[in-house]
Amino acid sequence: MSPLLMAALATLGIPAGLTLLFGVLPMLRRTGKPAAILSILGATSVLGIAGWLFATWLGNPTEVIQQSTAWLVQAGRPLGEVGVRLDGISVSMLLVVAVVAWCVQVFSLGYLSDEPPNGLGRYFTYQSLFLFSMNLLVLAPDLMQLFIGWELVGATSYLLIGFWYPKPAAAKAAIKAFVVTKFADSGLILGLLVLAAQTGSFAWDAPLGTGVAEVVAGLLFVAVMGKSAQFPLHIWLPDAMQGPTPVSALLHAATMVAAGVYLIVRADPIFAAATHVREFMTQLGAFTALFAAIVATVQTDIKKVLAYSTCSQLGYMISGLGAGSLLGGYFHLTTHAFFKALLFLAAGAVIHAVHSNEFEDMGGLWKKLKFVAIAFVFGSLSLAGVPGLAGFYSKDLILEAVHESGDHFALAALLLTAGLTAFYMTRAVVKTFLGQMSHAAEHAHGPGPSMSLPLLVLLVPTIALGWAAQPFATLFGKPYEFHMGTVGYAAIGLGLGGIALGYLVYGVGALGFLPRLFAPLGKLARSSLMDELWQSVYEIGGQTPSRAAAWIDRYVVDGLMNFLGWLTIVAGQQLRKLQTGDVQDYLYAVFGAAALLALFGGWR
Amino acid sequence: MNLEMLMQDPALWGLGIATLAFAMLAVSVKNLVHAVLWLGMSLLGTAALFAKFDASFLAAIQVLLYVGGVVVLLIFGVMLTREHDNLAAFRTTRRPVRAALVAIALFVGLVHAILNTPGLGDPSAGKLVSMPDLGMSLLGPYAFAFEVLSLLLLAAMVGAVVLARKRDPGQPSAKKLIRHRNLGRQVVEGLAATDEVGQ
Amino acid sequence: MIAILLIASALFCAGVFGLLTQKHAIGVMIAIEVMINAANLVLVGLGQHKGAAVGQSFALFTIAIAVAEVVVGLAIVLLLYRSRGDVQVDEAREMRQ
Repeated sequence: MSPLLMAALATLGIPAGLTLLFGVLPMLRRTGKPAAILSILGATSVLGIAGWLFATWLGNPTEVIQQSTAWLVQAGRPLGEVGVRLDGISVSMLLVVAVVAWCVQVFSLGYLSDEPPNGLGRYFTYQSLFLFSMNLLVLAPDLMQLFIGWELVGATSYLLIGFWYPKPAAAKAAIKAFVVTKFADSGLILGLLVLAAQTGSFAWDAPLGTGVAEVVAGLLFVAVMGKSAQFPLHIWLPDAMQGPTPVSALLHAATMVAAGVYLIVRADPIFAAATHVREFMTQLGAFTALFAAIVATVQTDIKKVLAYSTCSQLGYMISGLGAGSLLGGYFHLTTHAFFKALLFLAAGAVIHAVHSNEFEDMGGLWKKLKFVAIAFVFGSLSLAGVPGLAGFYSKDLILEAVHESGDHFALAALLLTAGLTAFYMTRAVVKTFLGQMSHAAEHAHGPGPSMSLPLLVLLVPTIALGWAAQPFATLFGKPYEFHMGTVGYAAIGLGLGGIALGYLVYGVGALGFLPRLFAPLGKLARSSLMDELWQSVYEIGGQTPSRAAAWIDRYVVDGLMNFLGWLTIVAGQQLRKLQTGDVQDYLYAVFGAAALLALFGGWR
Repeated sequence: MNLEMLMQDPALWGLGIATLAFAMLAVSVKNLVHAVLWLGMSLLGTAALFAKFDASFLAAIQVLLYVGGVVVLLIFGVMLTREHDNLAAFRTTRRPVRAALVAIALFVGLVHAILNTPGLGDPSAGKLVSMPDLGMSLLGPYAFAFEVLSLLLLAAMVGAVVLARKRDPGQPSAKKLIRHRNLGRQVVEGLAATDEVGQ
Repeated sequence: MIAILLIASALFCAGVFGLLTQKHAIGVMIAIEVMINAANLVLVGLGQHKGAAVGQSFALFTIAIAVAEVVVGLAIVLLLYRSRGDVQVDEAREMRQ
């Protein structure tokens, strides 16, 4: 086995081993901090291995190493393949996951310093489990293993959202996230079944007919909609913010929600053949981007702003992938992972400082949290698409691709979203760091070194990753040439305009009608309208068949059983009358039978 | 003299029909003592039929055992279980029509079966079993059965004694007696009691 | 030959009739004797017809068994009489439940 494969297996084995260790040794887990340090050491080694693998692949971008073994062989046919597949896509994704996970784990050490040791140990157990699951997903050689990793990250997401489970809102949010994503995952299962029925394997590059490809891609996309929080299955993501902020950074911004995008990138041979599904993806992604951006402009909770922003950016990625730009979608995934993790961690530092998520408890924090503010501002600028920063390059790729696909509605929606993104991020920056200091903000304290270091680490790719687009594209095996078209200039203009407008409205206080204009729209979107819609869908679509089934069960199935029981009893009572206890009655039967036998016994 | 000739023999038919008539009387007369006596007559008729078949030993046994033993025993039984002075009063039949229908149906069925069984009309083997033949048979191939039969008779006698023993108030019931471990001892006592009765 | 069988059948059916109609336990035993007798008649008749000693041998056994049966049966009748006060078979239906 080559050292590269060994290394890849180590990225799975180390976190898995740590999870098991914490699982079977409660003594170790309950020590809290030592367990956390152990977990971080594991994450560090995974980071090192991922970095080495990435460096190797930068030197030889087109290499593909796949080592897998048949799993659950039955009747000579395996259920699927398990193993690792190392290529440009999985190695770069592995590095993204490793970096963000490492940053988040280190950050958590400071962020959760007030947790009891028991809880801290549990938290880092989940973190290790997540790292294992995500690596399993990323390194999957076929869709079967990807599905296993997919479900495992879903389960970990449930555990981490509900980390503060005594809080009813957190417990409910965890269940909601789980149920919504599981509902969507049924699409993945069905898609896999159709795929396996058609090709006999779960490989994503088996040739498929167009019709089958459309079906499989459509079903897979349902799962993507759930995992990557696309309208109308986005409803779980804002609620998921009930989890600890580092968790939101890792799972619900950078990596797990990007798994949907990763799935589309991996299963590109299937999606490439499904033109209708891709058209739909473009439109739905653009709509989600715009919708979530509008909702984000009226949120009063800093994490909710970032959550809707995540929805919006995931919409960007989906839209780009739908338009056929694999590189655009995937590159945006990468840059977004870094700057959104940075934003979330910075927001986490702010929340840690003021002990609140609400903007009204913030304001004027620039003076207290200078470094955090710088990090947050750079993250925002990157997200807003300011030229030179990472987000600009990846967003530009998507916009160009959608422009080329000729989908004007999607392009318009995405451009508008670009402006809105800049606008609401400026709003968030202004409300958090500028203006009047609130009462809580006056007592704010700066982050410790374990919280500052991850911010610093994430700041680097947030600023500089865009310049590395060229080598990234070679990893992907796609040509990349940066050029500024009309769309690019429009996006820059809208982005800068959005920032200016945001500053005017919230920083200076001018143009007061604009927030009022947005208010009803936002209220509509923020209300539980979507939840109620899903509720009625559930009642009509889910409960009606259930009631019908219950009725059939009660009156048909049970009725049949009751009838049989009644029949048995009645037959028994009737038969009992034959047992008179009178010998001569029995003798009648004996001789009657003898007579019948003699008469009709066939004496030949 | 063989059976084919017997078939033509009106004496056979006469004896047979007489036996049947006695039997019918035995199962239908009101008076139980009369019924037992009619049974005796029927058994005598059968014995006569045996004699007619040249089975004279069987005929003798029939008279000795049945007429001399069984009939007497039955009369004893009637006497012992009498609950009214008028024996005729309590011996009534039940559902005679139904029973007659079943009996006739069975008879028709049997006749049907007999007439439809091949080989029954074959001529006789022409050889009649004599008394020495019977003795050779009983002590030859059927010796074991013969001995077992004597055991059976012994067991029947012991069983009858145990069952019919009059229970003293302090003594266990027949049921308990059978369950009792010292069954053997009880049997011996019972036999001793019969001996006393016999003396 | 067939005549013997027919007579025996008729005898047997007379016994059946008695068995089905008798209310008195001794009446039942009488009927059973009639039936056994019919069987003996067939055994002896067939044995002589075929010239086989087995017929008479078994008739002899049957007679012995019938005697044993009468002995035990009478004992049972006595027991029944003692425990119930009468010997009406149609009254004795404790086996019903």
